[in-house]
Amino acid sequence: MEGPTGMDSSDAALVARVLHGEVNAYSALVSRYRDKYARYAVHMLGNREDAEEALQDAFTRAYRSLARCEDPERFGAWLFRILVNRCRTSGARRVRRGQTFVHDETALLNASEEHPAEQTMWREEIERALGELSADQREAFLLKYVEELGYDEMAEITGVGVSALKMRVMRACDRLRVLLREVHSA
Amino acid sequence: MPDWGRTTLELMVQELQHPVRLDESFDRRVMVRVRRIYAERRHRGIIGWLGAAASISRRPAWAAALAASVVAVVSIGLIPHGGGKRDAHVGQTIPVQFVLVAPDARSVAVVGDFNNWGLGDTALVAENHNGVWSVSAPVHTGVHRYAFLVNGKQWVADPTAPRAAGDDFGQPSSALVVEASTQ
Amino acid sequence: MRMRTTRSLLALLLIGSAFRTTEAQDPRLSNRLDAPTRKALFAIVDSARAQGIPVEPLMEKVYQGLAMGADGSRIVVAVRSLTLEMGNAHRVLGAVATTDELKAAASAVHAGVPAVELGKMKKQSGLRRSLTLPFTVLADIVSRGVPVAAATNAIKSLVGAGAKDKDISDFQRNVSVDIEKGAQPAAAAETRAKGASAPTPKTEDREHE
Repeated sequence: MEGPTGMDSSDAALVARVLHGEVNAYSALVSRYRDKYARYAVHMLGNREDAEEALQDAFTRAYRSLARCEDPERFGAWLFRILVNRCRTSGARRVRRGQTFVHDETALLNASEEHPAEQTMWREEIERALGELSADQREAFLLKYVEELGYDEMAEITGVGVSALKMRVMRACDRLRVLLREVHSA
Repeated sequence: MPDWGRTTLELMVQELQHPVRLDESFDRRVMVRVRRIYAERRHRGIIGWLGAAASISRRPAWAAALAASVVAVVSIGLIPHGGGKRDAHVGQTIPVQFVLVAPDARSVAVVGDFNNWGLGDTALVAENHNGVWSVSAPVHTGVHRYAFLVNGKQWVADPTAPRAAGDDFGQPSSALVVEASTQ
Repeated sequence: MRMRTTRSLLALLLIGSAFRTTEAQDPRLSNRLDAPTRKALFAIVDSARAQGIPVEPLMEKVYQGLAMGADGSRIVVAVRSLTLEMGNAHRVLGAVATTDELKAAASAVHAGVPAVELGKMKKQSGLRRSLTLPFTVLADIVSRGVPVAAATNAIKSLVGAGAKDKDISDFQRNVSVDIEKGAQPAAAAETRAKGASAPTPKTEDREHE
């Protein structure tokens, strides 16, 4: 951390300081949300490199349009919306590049100390299954169950209607059920 | 929640909810980009004005009026802050004294990168003490090209400072490196 | 061209909404830069930004040219030259270089120091210290007549020995005084560099973290 930037300050206070020219205050916001949103990006995009790029991009875009953040107290949610969009763009780019959903790095990230090999395998299965979902379904599933957002929040972030989101979540669960049953019965 | 292999779903979500930690260098990389934007924005007025003027012939009247009202560069955020490199702490200013011995001069001003070379009446006007001209001003951290302007027309480099190399339009100028204060 | 117009207008709107500006457009700017000059400068600045080159130093060069009474074409030449020099510096110093390091490196390149030498110095010093001042002093002593090779070696030895910015500033002052007193520039630089190189092991340079 470079110098005092008020880690105890609220999002609104930090946003105000940044808008008044104290650019370094932005680093406190970066630290605050970096790991939280990295998780979503990593699972959504399937690899750390793309996730970091999308997250960096999101933070940069958020800075650029900071004056348009209507509710600075909810900077986090506003940033998340930007990140979700960046992940969509990044995912689309990945498809155009013809790359498959790579899991290796994600699988290694949180290997259990007690049962590393088993945990890694289980992790790989999960990530592979996630990769089989469509981007819309994966997004909806992660937001609903991993990030534990309500449907209203999800609608606000994604711009998609609640009923469409519910349908995507249900289809994601159906698909995952099939995929994971196949794995378990193999 | 769908009633299928609830245990499997819960285990899956539990696994996916493990925190993901990024390297601290991530913050640094983001802030490098952010500080670049900050630094560029300080001059975006002239850039936007340049761009608008470049295409002025093709824009409708309302856009021309908008372009005409674009403001030029202003100095933003000269707020004292912690120590570090310029990009690391854009915004910190350090008091600097400029001195020129010129007993025969009628006026001496200091202009440079730190005050838009005096455009917009931002020149630092020096005071005369028996032929020793001096002025102090807060200058933001970084490297700056500057010169003394004697009698409103003669460009003089600072004899006590490093010379600035570079295309100087045939006039002498000096280099000033202002470093952040350490804590 | 329509994209560029849209982008310019967007930039104008962003300025209005994002910042409270307090100074009216300087009429001298619009009077002193004709349309072709403004167009040429915009293209250079736009291209520089696309290459990741900081544009602030380019704008400072525009102001300098205007203040010094240069005509539009002269300003365009100067800005283009600086862009090339900063581009060279950017290629060898990489993304870790700060805007100030790039500015100072561009000065050194303009003075005749090969950019590759600056890259070697950056690799040698790593991220431990800023090379803004060493590059500035390098440009200065070359402009005072120290041959490029001798000047580069002197600065390299100082940086390599862990000399602080204050030591390098003192080195510059001593060399310039020696040269003014009649010393051969190369001899002055070599002698002073030997004296200024710190004999003790490197310590952590917290000043530049």
